[in-house]
Amino acid sequence: MTKLRHYNGNPQKNSPALGATLAFLGVNGLLALLHGSQGCSSFIRLQLSRHYKEPIPLNSTALLEESVIFGGWDHLKKGIAVAADKYKPQIIGVMSSGLTETYGDDMVSALASLRLERPDLEDLPVVLAGTPDYIGSMQEGYQRTVEALLMTLAGKTSKTKSPGLANSNDAPSVALLPGCHLTPGDVDELKEIVKSFGYRVITVPDLSISLDGHAELEAAPVVQGGTLIEEFQRLPECKACFSFGLSMEKAGEFLKKTYEIPHFNSPSLTGLTATDRFILTLAKISGKTIPERLLRQRSRLLDTLADYHDQLGGQKIAIALEMDLLYSLGSCLVEVGSEIPVALSASQGSGNTLSLPFPVEVGDLETLEERAADCDLIIANSNGRQAAGMLKVPHLRAGLPVFDRAGYPQKRWIGYEGTQQFLFDMLNSLS
Amino acid sequence: MFTNLTKLDLKDKECMSDAGSPKLCMKALPGEGAERSCAYDGARVVLMPITDVAHLVHGPIACAGNSWDNRGARSSGSQLYRRGLTTDIMENDVVYGGEIKLKESVLEIAAKHDPKAIFVYATCVSSLIGDDVEKVCREAEAELTIPVIAVNCPGFLGDKNIGNRIAGEVLYDRVIGSAAGSDEKIPLSINLIGEYNIAGDLWGVLPDLKNLGITLQTAITGDAKFDDLRSAHRASLNVLICSKSLTNLVRKMEIRYGIPFMEGSFYGIHDTSETLIKIAKALGDPDLVERTLVYVQKKEDETRKTIAGYKKLLENKQAILFTGGVKTWSMVSTLAELGINILAGGTQNSTPEDFQRMKQLMDPSAQIIEDTSSAGFLKIIAEKKPDLIVAGGKTKYLAHKTRTPFLDINHGRKLPYAGYQGMITFAETLARTVLSPVWGHLKREFPPREGELDD
Repeated sequence: MTKLRHYNGNPQKNSPALGATLAFLGVNGLLALLHGSQGCSSFIRLQLSRHYKEPIPLNSTALLEESVIFGGWDHLKKGIAVAADKYKPQIIGVMSSGLTETYGDDMVSALASLRLERPDLEDLPVVLAGTPDYIGSMQEGYQRTVEALLMTLAGKTSKTKSPGLANSNDAPSVALLPGCHLTPGDVDELKEIVKSFGYRVITVPDLSISLDGHAELEAAPVVQGGTLIEEFQRLPECKACFSFGLSMEKAGEFLKKTYEIPHFNSPSLTGLTATDRFILTLAKISGKTIPERLLRQRSRLLDTLADYHDQLGGQKIAIALEMDLLYSLGSCLVEVGSEIPVALSASQGSGNTLSLPFPVEVGDLETLEERAADCDLIIANSNGRQAAGMLKVPHLRAGLPVFDRAGYPQKRWIGYEGTQQFLFDMLNSLS
Repeated sequence: MFTNLTKLDLKDKECMSDAGSPKLCMKALPGEGAERSCAYDGARVVLMPITDVAHLVHGPIACAGNSWDNRGARSSGSQLYRRGLTTDIMENDVVYGGEIKLKESVLEIAAKHDPKAIFVYATCVSSLIGDDVEKVCREAEAELTIPVIAVNCPGFLGDKNIGNRIAGEVLYDRVIGSAAGSDEKIPLSINLIGEYNIAGDLWGVLPDLKNLGITLQTAITGDAKFDDLRSAHRASLNVLICSKSLTNLVRKMEIRYGIPFMEGSFYGIHDTSETLIKIAKALGDPDLVERTLVYVQKKEDETRKTIAGYKKLLENKQAILFTGGVKTWSMVSTLAELGINILAGGTQNSTPEDFQRMKQLMDPSAQIIEDTSSAGFLKIIAEKKPDLIVAGGKTKYLAHKTRTPFLDINHGRKLPYAGYQGMITFAETLARTVLSPVWGHLKREFPPREGELDD
C-alpha cells in the first residue's frame, strides 16, 4: 500500500473492541465488559445500537487517571466482580482497549487473583480477549474474540451444568463459525442451508438469534439469544467445522486440531461459484442430495444473471468495506462482469493470502472520495454518504454501521437467494 | 503535560451528598454499567459543532472511528466539522511515538481542507505514550496561517462533564477574544452557551430573537463559525442554555470582558418565555422588556392553542423521565404543560443544582432513579409500568424491549424541540409515539390463550 497521507480521513474502520463486542453479543447470557475508560464502551454501544436498533449490553471498567498511573489491574478484578454480582450473567466477556494494552494490564493474572479471592465465582466462565485499538479493525477484534471464546469455553463442562449428551438417533452436529461480514439475517440463512443437509448446527457466535431484532418476552441487561453455553460444551461432538470469511480460518483450524474433525473455510458465500462450492462440499460430506429448494433458488439466480447480464457487465464499482465483506461482494461482482476500479479495505485483514480478482488497498473514505468520481456505484457503510453526496455517485449501503437505511441487520447477502437480492439491490441503486 | 490540567480545578468541589439525591459526581464503579462516557467525548460534544474548522483526533481508531459524524448538530454552512479526521494511532506509533505523524497530519489537513482552524484532541493512548500535543500544535501553527489548538482531553481524566469544562477552557484561552477587529460591545447581542443546534434546535429559537430585535453573536457552539466565536466577547450577555459544565467559561468571560451571564432554557413554553423575558431584562433595555412581555404572551397563547389537541390526548399519562443537564428540570415543566405526570425521574451528567431544581418541580410522590445502569432502568420500568419514557437515545432500544412508548430527547433525534415551534413539534411527536397503534400489537398475546380466540 502506498501511504498517501498520515491521517485517516472519514474512517471506515471500526475499532477492534467493537468487533469483540459484536462477537460477544452472539453468546447467550453473556455480559461484555470493556477494560478501558468510559468513552470506549459508550461509543461502541452507540455505534452498534444505531446499526442494529438493539440495546447493547456492554459495561466498562471505567478507568480514571489513577488507574492509568497505578495500573488497572485492580479495576479489572473489581469490574468483573461487580458485573457478576449485579447482573448475574452466565458468562462474562472481557476485552482490552488501547489504553490498557499500552500500559500492559495482565488480564489473565487479574482473573486468577479474583478467583482466589472469590471462590464463589469459580464456576463463572470469563472469556478474555486482547483487542488493542491500535491493531486492526472490527474484523480483527471479532476474530480474536471468537478464538478466545472457543479456547475458553469449547468442551469445558461446568460443575453446575452438564451438557445433554447426544442421542445416537440424533442428527450429526456440525460447527459453524460465521465471520463478522455476515449479518444476523445471513447467519439465519446459513443455518437453514446447513440444516437442509440433515445436520444439527452449533453456531459460534450466533447473531441470528440475538441481534436479529426480535421482541423479547422479558427484557434483560445481558445478551438474550445467541450460542448457549451448553452448545460450547457440545462442540467436541461435531463431525465437521465450517468457517466463513478468511478471518475465521484460524478459529476453524483450532477446532480441527482440537477435535480432529475436518474443517472447511469459505472465504465468501456471496456469488454463484462461492455458493456452488459450499453447497457441493455440504452434499459431499453429508452424502445427501442437494435439496430441491436450493436448486430452485440456483436456477432463479441463473435466470437473473441472463436477464440482467448487460446491465451488470461493465459497471464500474468502488467498494470500501472490511476485508472479508469486500472480498465477498467484490468477487461476486467480478463474476457477473462488473469492474472494481477502486477497492479499499478497512484494514490489512487476511487479504494478502487471497488471490483477489482485483487490487485492494487499505484506505479510508476520503480516499474513496478522491478515487470514485468516475464510478457508477459506491458500496460502503453509511459513512460513505459524504463521499457519495459530494461525487453524486449512487451509494449502496453495506457493512457496518448502516444507520440511515432500514432493515440492514435482517438483510441477506449470501447463498443463491442472497446473491440474487444483492444484484437486484445493486441494479436498483444504479437506476 | 498534565500539570496545566490542575488549573482547571477538575476535582469538582460541588459534589454533594444531599439526602435522597443520586451521587451525581461520583465516579462510576467498574463493571456496574452506569458509565457516563469520557472526557474526550465531553470535549468533542462542545467543540465539534464548530462548523468551519477541522477536528483532528490524535488517538487510535476507537476514539474517532466509532464516533465521527454521529451527533445531530447541524450547520447552515460549512460541512467540514462532520469530517472524521484522526491520526489513527497504530502499533508502530505506540512504540515510536506519534508526534511526527500528528504534525504531518495537521499540515496535510490544512492544505487539503482549508479550515479556519484545526482543533487537535489528545486521547488516552496519545497521552500515555507521551506525545506532547501542545508542542506539536505550536510547531505546526508556526508553519501555517491558521490557529492549531490543542485540546488536552484524554478519556481517563473523567466523565463527560470534565471534558465539557476542558473545552470551555480551550475556547476561553485560545478562541474567544482573538479576533483582529473591534472589541466594542454589540448592543442587544447575546451568546447562547451550551446550545449545540442538535436537530436544528437553535433555528427554532432564532426567529423569536430576531422578532424581538436581539442579535445572536454566536451560539457556543451550535452552527458556530470560528470567526464569530473569536468575537464572542463582543456580546452584551451570555445565556447559559445547557451544560452547567460551561459555567467556568461564562464566569471567566464575565471577569475578563465584563459580560454578565444568566441561565435559561428553551425547552417548553414556560421556560422559553421566562428565558426571553430574563434576557430582555438583563440587556437592560426597557423598551425591549415591554416588547418581550407582549410577544411572549402572544406566542404562548398561539402555542397553547396549537397544542391543545395534543394535550387532550396526552393528559394524565404517566411518564418516566431520564435525562441529563439542564433538560432535567426543563423537561419536567414541558411534560407538565402537556398534563403528563412524572412517576420517576433520573439524571446523569447533571449538576446538583439542576437536580434539586428538577426535584422541586416534580410531584413529591415521584421517585428518584438512583441506579442509572440498564439493570436499574429495567427495574424501574417493571415497577412503575409507565405509559411513556422520555430519555436519551442510549436506553431507547432497551425500552422498546419492555414494549413501552419511548421518546428520544437527546442528540440522536431528528426533530428540533426548542422554542415555541419546538414545543409544538415535541407535543406532536410525543402524541404520535404514545398513541401509536403498534404498542397494542406488541402487548397482545399470541397465540391467544384458549377461550379468547373468539374475542
